[in-house]
Amino acid sequence: MYGEGNTFEGIKNDGLAQEDPIQLSAFEARIDRGEKIEPTDWMPQLYRKQLIRMIEQHAHSEIIGALPEGTWITRAPGFRRKLALMAKVQDEVGHAQLLYSAAETLGKSREEMITDLLSGKSKYSNIFNYPAFTWADSCFISWLVDAGAIVNQLANSKGSYGPYCRALERICAEESFHLKYGHHCVIYLAAGTAKQRAMFQEALNRWWPPMMHFFGPADKISAHTEVLMKWKVKMSSNDDMRNQFLDMYVPKIWELGFTIPDPKLKKNIATGRWEYTEPDWEEFKRVINGDGPCNKERLEVRRIAEERGRWVRDALRSPKATYVSPLA
Amino acid sequence: MASIDPRVNRLPEIGKPGLIQPKAPLDQLGTFEVFVQPKEGKPFQHEGSVHAPDTEMAFVLAKETFTRRFTCSSLYVVDTRDVYVSPITEGDRNVYELIHDAAANDHEKYTFEIYHLNKRGKQHTHAGTVSASSHEGAMAKAKQQFNSDKIIYNIWSIRTDTIRFTAAEEMDLWLTLPEKKFRDAADYKGGEKLKEFLKKTNHA
Repeated sequence: MYGEGNTFEGIKNDGLAQEDPIQLSAFEARIDRGEKIEPTDWMPQLYRKQLIRMIEQHAHSEIIGALPEGTWITRAPGFRRKLALMAKVQDEVGHAQLLYSAAETLGKSREEMITDLLSGKSKYSNIFNYPAFTWADSCFISWLVDAGAIVNQLANSKGSYGPYCRALERICAEESFHLKYGHHCVIYLAAGTAKQRAMFQEALNRWWPPMMHFFGPADKISAHTEVLMKWKVKMSSNDDMRNQFLDMYVPKIWELGFTIPDPKLKKNIATGRWEYTEPDWEEFKRVINGDGPCNKERLEVRRIAEERGRWVRDALRSPKATYVSPLA
Repeated sequence: MASIDPRVNRLPEIGKPGLIQPKAPLDQLGTFEVFVQPKEGKPFQHEGSVHAPDTEMAFVLAKETFTRRFTCSSLYVVDTRDVYVSPITEGDRNVYELIHDAAANDHEKYTFEIYHLNKRGKQHTHAGTVSASSHEGAMAKAKQQFNSDKIIYNIWSIRTDTIRFTAAEEMDLWLTLPEKKFRDAADYKGGEKLKEFLKKTNHA
């Protein structure tokens, strides 16, 4: 799972003027032909930098995203649900491994990425800074947060960087189970007792605002985003992805008789676009910058895991090891 | 830490975080490349990499990371540094044009596994095994034996004796995969339950 997080801040000097024009045009021609870029190819600094940021954020989101759902492993209702939830959470952690490796092929070491996660320098998807109060919250995440992530990941898997595309194809294949599992859980809550229905309705009320934040604020169209779209780094606008998500899942939520807590939410038949209350982007910014209900806990859990595992890594490290980037 | 997650509440206190120190180089250990044979009779293909202290741990982690979900008949790992990589080409340029022809006096001391990149963006797949005394020699031999009119963009050569293969007695590692239905989307059919629910609510 993943949310773009959208902490792409504009880069003041994109360095494009300093790039070798011959190399740059060969690079762009390759992308235009639909060929993928591989790690040993020449690439502009801006391309490398933005991809590292994007893939690294994605990897951190998988690792941190395992935490809110993992909260309910110990208290999942029944053995079948517990088995499935454990398998799903294991998948998410596995996805982080694939993504860290893809980012490493671009020249940022895993050590640097983990340092930047722990220090707060690198971001992860904002939605995981919210708590999963009940079992129904974990069902909301499994079904709808994963659904949002799949919209995003399917778009990105058509991008231009080979290792990232390969990782995403595997991730999307694995996530089809998450989505079906999540929907299954919610159908059973919907068809259950009044208490179960109320439990999911409450979870939906809690998670709808962060879900609307999930795809990020509307893109500012700048020369910068245009070049990233041309290079197939950014594959779809935030608003388009949000619209696609609403198109696919609002009818499914309504079908189950739940109410989405936004009186303005409706599809404009003429434009084919969804209309909704503008999400509170001030809250989004505040939470991304550290002031959300769970930011501290999420990073603290990672920090404890890193500290407690250090002696094991120290004991295992071979004196013959040297650093190389993974191949592809 | 007061959390709604009982697992988090069980974590020990480790003191206030100071300034986060940058991790030392190799704190996350070295990398190993992972190759998987998805089905008996199919060629091995490159799947990705894992960080591990040695080939044994790399094998275990590779099994968990890459063969947890979909069918697999065999797996192997090799230290990233033991993979020799050719230049990469594009468009209609065959990378074998850049490889020297085989020398007649190659003593053929070792065997090497040769991998091809058949299309940019795809995985490297196993082309075959050659005998040579060096990686350069192995690529030259590969040119003799595996080059055709098909365009190859990149070649990898791996000395066979540096690979950690799946041992004969480990071949049963993946036998129970098909039984783990809880990881299969098809095991979560909610259609009947949904229909029943809709019928009930429409009557109400």
